[in-house]
Amino acid sequence: MRRLRLALTKGRLEKKSVELFEKMGLDCSEIINKGRRLILPVGDYDAVLAKAADVITYVEHGVCDIGIVGKDTIAESSGEFYEVMDLEIGKCNFALATKKGTDFFGGYNVKRVATKYPAVASAYFESKGMDVQIIKIEGSVELAPLLELTDAIVDIVETGSTLKENGLEVVETIMPISARVIVNVASLKLRKAEIEDFLKALEDAKKK
Amino acid sequence: MQKNNKITPLGFRDYLFEESEALNEINSRLMRLFSHRGFHQVVTPTLEFLDVFALDGEQMPVEKMYKLCDNRGRLLVLRPDITMPIARLAATRLKDEQLPLRLCYTESVYNSNYSLHGHRDEITQSGVELLGAQGKRADLEILVLAAQSLSRCGANDFKIEIGHAGVFKSLIGELDEDEQTIETIRSLIETKCYAALDDVLLGLKNQKVAKILKRLPHLFGGEDVLSEAKELCGDICGDALSYLGDIFSSLKELGLKDNIYLDLGLVHSNTYYTGVLFRGYIAGSGITVLSGGRYDELLSKFGVNMAAIGFAVQNDAMAEILLQSGQISKTTAPDMLVFAEKGYELKALNYCDSLANQGKTVESSVFDTFEESVEYAKKRGIKRIVTVAEQTSNLEI
Repeated sequence: MRRLRLALTKGRLEKKSVELFEKMGLDCSEIINKGRRLILPVGDYDAVLAKAADVITYVEHGVCDIGIVGKDTIAESSGEFYEVMDLEIGKCNFALATKKGTDFFGGYNVKRVATKYPAVASAYFESKGMDVQIIKIEGSVELAPLLELTDAIVDIVETGSTLKENGLEVVETIMPISARVIVNVASLKLRKAEIEDFLKALEDAKKK
Repeated sequence: MQKNNKITPLGFRDYLFEESEALNEINSRLMRLFSHRGFHQVVTPTLEFLDVFALDGEQMPVEKMYKLCDNRGRLLVLRPDITMPIARLAATRLKDEQLPLRLCYTESVYNSNYSLHGHRDEITQSGVELLGAQGKRADLEILVLAAQSLSRCGANDFKIEIGHAGVFKSLIGELDEDEQTIETIRSLIETKCYAALDDVLLGLKNQKVAKILKRLPHLFGGEDVLSEAKELCGDICGDALSYLGDIFSSLKELGLKDNIYLDLGLVHSNTYYTGVLFRGYIAGSGITVLSGGRYDELLSKFGVNMAAIGFAVQNDAMAEILLQSGQISKTTAPDMLVFAEKGYELKALNYCDSLANQGKTVESSVFDTFEESVEYAKKRGIKRIVTVAEQTSNLEI
């Protein structure tokens, strides 16, 4: 049987995930000096580094057994997998923000909202029973209200300093975000003992 | 406008040669197994009225069904599931037959999945439904048949997890919460979303039950799971738990010790399940390849009281494993090519028939000359050419 495969989100969460792995006593030298290889041995496991949405795809299909990915990506995409642990790293929030002093919920005009996360934004406004026009923006979402394309944005807010610099403010927090451990449905059943050992060690490392 | 006349719709595909052979092989292995156990095949239509799947209190996600209209404007769907049509059938045309009914099927089901996740919208399922039978005998028969289905398809390393709808139902019966909250709890338990579940449970009025619900998704494994559950629940779901224990030890006695698990966190989104429920997994496939359970109240929605249990296998996933295992050979060249000299075409056709009857695979050459036939045989990798004239002669290539 092949070694358990871990899918890690590249970038912001990568360093923090590696720190946790090191606390678990895993040899992470291959990830730190990765060169051009795409599948990297980490202790008794194999790891791949991928974009957040791809981590979910790989785990959902079972080509990776375990993934570490932000709740933002989980909320935006969908699929069948177990979300077994909150790693409590990479904490931030989804929030609705407008230009300072705007009354977003006032008036009867249909508001326009810019976001990189159309599914999250739609679900949020649906739950409020509110009609809005959602516009998908790929880059800096903050630009959209400044250019007066939209009335508001739905985006990840970490410290709020980018918002402040651009004269925007949070109107409402939508949901808290942090890194989660996800597990393929079949893997958890077929390789229960191995996966539980891994999760246990990770849980311990989290507390260290 | 661009014409999409060279591609298939997203989620749909063609099955070529060994792919279709593997799928046929799985279909026939399963149907053979079912028929030897006294199950009779039924075929239900591909299109059904939406109403069959939108019964009171039984929510199947309508937004995921492929819909169209009949000529009177009524909504039709490509069947998203086969249990409901079979329940319809049993409650109508078969309601006066001698019970129990043992029905089996191999059919395509259609679900519109999230795009670009690589899922298929059309998949083949084989399954059984045992209608008009309650109790442990019937449950065991179906569970064992489920295990045999997986091993018959060539899976050595497989697991079947067993839960009981009564566990979750009795626990939420103790709660005084609205439907929305209960659905949130259910889906968080189903996805083993521990962190979010804890948050929701903190807000419940009944903290004793909240504490049990919190442990529920963790409760999967062997018999030790049951003892922990019994300790936690006291007498809230005692019946379901001791029934599961009973089933579990019988299955162990039947030699399935290494293949079965208990999962008390198994809470299906299909609300029609009332008793044991189970899912199957095989090494090499990341999806649930078998799922089923007991649904004693579903037929009453069609106006007949009939207990029932059944399961369905995801044949496409099994076929993929079979292909990977190399048990299905790539399409090979026929044993021989039969070439007819001018004037002997009819004799050659007869000759092909006689070879085919002997169990050989033969192709009749469509070329006018022997040279062209040889050229073709070489390209196709056919090892032998038979020339039919006054006499037949063989040429090995």
